[in-house]
Amino acid sequence: MNPPQKSPVTDTPFVNEMRLNARQWRLVAGIVVVLLGFTPWVWKKVERFDTGPDYRIPYSLSKDYWLYERRLQELPATNAVLIGDSVIWGEYVLPDGTLSHFLNQEAGRPDVFVNAGVNGLFPLALEGLVEHYGGALHHRKIILNCNLLWLSSPKADLSTQKEERFNHSRLVPQFTPRIPCYRADASERLSALMERNLPVLSWVNHLQNTAFNQRSIPDWTLEQGTGEPPAHPNAYKNPLAQINLQVPTAPAQDSERGPASARHKPWATTGEGTTRFEWVPLDASLQWAAFQRLAQLLRARGNTVLVIVGPFNEHMMAPENRTTYRLLRDGVAAWLKDNQIAYVVPEPLPSPLYADASHPLTEGYRELAQRLRKESAFTNWLSTP
Amino acid sequence: MLFHTWTFFVFLFVVVPGFLLLRKTRLWIPWLLLASYVFYGWWNPYYLILVAYSTALDFILVALMDHCPRDRPAIPLRERVAHPRFDDTVLKVAFIVSAVGTLGFLGMAVAGLPTLRPTMAVLTLIFGLMAVGAFFASRAVWLGVSIVNNLAILLFFKYAQFLVENGNALLARLHVHATLPDPASLMPFGAAYVLPVGISFFTFQSMSYSIDFYRGRVHRERDFIRFAAFVSFFPQLMAGPIERASHLLPQFYEFPKITSRDVTDGLSLFLVGLFKKLALANYLSYYVERVYDNPKAYGAPALILGTVAFAWQIFFDFSGYTDMARGIAKLMGFNLMLNFNNPYLATGLGEFWSRWHISLSTWFRDYLYIPLGGNKEGTFKMYRNLFITFFVSGIWHGANWTFVIWGLLHAFGVMVTRELEHSAFYRDRVPRLLKQLGVFAFVCFAWIFFRAGSMADALLIIQRIFTAGWTDPQMPLLMLAIIAVIWLYQMAYESTLRPVLQTGYVRVGLGVLMILYMFLCSSGGGAFIYFQF
Repeated sequence: MNPPQKSPVTDTPFVNEMRLNARQWRLVAGIVVVLLGFTPWVWKKVERFDTGPDYRIPYSLSKDYWLYERRLQELPATNAVLIGDSVIWGEYVLPDGTLSHFLNQEAGRPDVFVNAGVNGLFPLALEGLVEHYGGALHHRKIILNCNLLWLSSPKADLSTQKEERFNHSRLVPQFTPRIPCYRADASERLSALMERNLPVLSWVNHLQNTAFNQRSIPDWTLEQGTGEPPAHPNAYKNPLAQINLQVPTAPAQDSERGPASARHKPWATTGEGTTRFEWVPLDASLQWAAFQRLAQLLRARGNTVLVIVGPFNEHMMAPENRTTYRLLRDGVAAWLKDNQIAYVVPEPLPSPLYADASHPLTEGYRELAQRLRKESAFTNWLSTP
Repeated sequence: MLFHTWTFFVFLFVVVPGFLLLRKTRLWIPWLLLASYVFYGWWNPYYLILVAYSTALDFILVALMDHCPRDRPAIPLRERVAHPRFDDTVLKVAFIVSAVGTLGFLGMAVAGLPTLRPTMAVLTLIFGLMAVGAFFASRAVWLGVSIVNNLAILLFFKYAQFLVENGNALLARLHVHATLPDPASLMPFGAAYVLPVGISFFTFQSMSYSIDFYRGRVHRERDFIRFAAFVSFFPQLMAGPIERASHLLPQFYEFPKITSRDVTDGLSLFLVGLFKKLALANYLSYYVERVYDNPKAYGAPALILGTVAFAWQIFFDFSGYTDMARGIAKLMGFNLMLNFNNPYLATGLGEFWSRWHISLSTWFRDYLYIPLGGNKEGTFKMYRNLFITFFVSGIWHGANWTFVIWGLLHAFGVMVTRELEHSAFYRDRVPRLLKQLGVFAFVCFAWIFFRAGSMADALLIIQRIFTAGWTDPQMPLLMLAIIAVIWLYQMAYESTLRPVLQTGYVRVGLGVLMILYMFLCSSGGGAFIYFQF
């Protein structure tokens, strides 16, 4: 038998002729880059985004990080920005019941303090949000809330080994530092990295959030309603008609929040008893480590940072649990002091002013704002040029 | 690892530069092998053993076959036993090793670790056959071992559960108080019994090498690493195309000359495949699942449209995978065969099978249909061979009676359209479009059996298509529009409008549209349907 020969096959048959040559590929790449690169930029110019005093990102847009970035970019440089989780955002209160509102009230102007809190944004996610979408946070005055609720158990700290599903997973560190309970596969993690680094992907997410109920357009056409078999209300709708070039605002009547809502009541009246928290030591806490990195990042960007530690609802704690908590709180304060970061550790608010372990009610925020105004650390921070 | 995931992109960005860097050394083939094993092992590293075993055995069997002269007359059994002398040292060693191996495995099958006994029993059979092959210096026995081994792997992992269930049902009906063992209980060391991804593809590819060598159509490959790289070449390892050694193996002899045309062609194929998978197949799958998961809840229009959607879903899914596979191979300078050629434009079932999963249909044609006699022995035998081939093809797709029915329906369809083609009226007077629609309708009807979870579901769907009311199907208009546009595009491509579609403007426009659509409208991930085969 003769020695083997190289294959005579040199070409690949094509079907349907979607066969681009090098020049055509360059053209395609050019058009796509221009379109995808400029669309988010153009979108900012043409999409109406009504904010105003006491504005906060609507609850339904909590995961619209592109909008968050835009919000920060559009803030005047003189505004002091409050960042943190739902304690800053105001889980149980209306926009005029938040900490930023009452701080503005104390300041006598409606636009000094800006609510840039996001629901469910624990430190590991907040770090990612500020790092990737918070580029506008530089050379500003920033109030950073340190909510020790995120250290109240290994589960809240995300340091448990058991798999957990949690909000804002696309913001947390995807590879290092390792979060043991985060078990997304490599592809999902890489996809999150790509989303952070390609603005167009965040913009697509924005579009889905604002026009298509947080779904892709095809998924939106398949959205399920009620009935058996379920109705599909969007099956025959024109998807393009959903895009109205206006960022949705929060509903005028929010039955979930504000003094008139059923949720807006002191924690003790909900039948919830005292709780024993499984506090995670600072040196073992992933959330605390993320908070430390975040504070350093904000400072490295030239911001003047003030950290408000708590105020946690100590009334809710089992008595034997308080010592550990206070050690933790003091450890946080000590680290802030060592790193010359301004901070305030407010005394706990009266018990009836809390809705749960960490969220004040409207009057609680008012009281907290008043107390802060009296703190020298706060006034010094505010008067810093 | 799926082609349409970021993980794969990272993998490719490591593999391709490494491949290019090693072009002037002999290490590019081991590099490809390593990449392919990482690619496969990403899914389940333990089943790499299976790929490696199948590869090694076929490599050895062909090497031994090469030591048996093709033109030597068969030695009568009695004479061979009377004169057990080996002219060839390799065969002598092979006999000794196989015989010792047989005894060793037999011993372990009888008295070894209980968890290993079934595996040892199979190895006893394989080594026993190898000893026979060496003793008689018989190419046919070596080929037999290769076929038995590959089919045994397939049979165990893919069909054992089906056979056991049906066997037990039969035993119960015959009032025999015995049950066949659960295949999972036969796994060594209690390993999980799961279907290895792409098992039907790599076993067929490896087996075709043995058969082609036996027939004198390919040369013996002497480099094991090269052969292993051919069997496990990662672009087509999981779901084809099922390449022949005569086509792909020679492409591993020297580093491929990669031109800029290869790169742009590769990217074009990959783009089209990615679009088919991400933008089309996944989208259609949601509607198909909705209808097929609860057929009782839907009226005739939804069931019909769900079936049509499935026809396109499986086409986009599988041909999309193939396009991506061909594109990735092309990026590295390798040519993989065409696997799909607008199958839904076929005017006959026979033509459909020359356009659908071409690598499999030609495999069955060359290794089953023609050896059975093909169409050379009269009409009756031709159709008998056709039915046998489609029966096996159905079974190849899955261990379920629904697949058997699907295969037999296609055999019936091929027979009918072939007979119709004999009629001048059908051939010349029936419009092409009508024939195409007829074939498409028949293929869709057969897909019901392919997609339905069980025979009962399939029959229920068919029954409801004819008896249920005409309620609103609620199929998204966007979905219908996409299907219509693509069908029209394919028709235009096979018409006098083809030159228009071949212009640069249209190609660039389509390329931009596809990329933008994927950015804006992708429906997430999801594995490829054909991985299960």
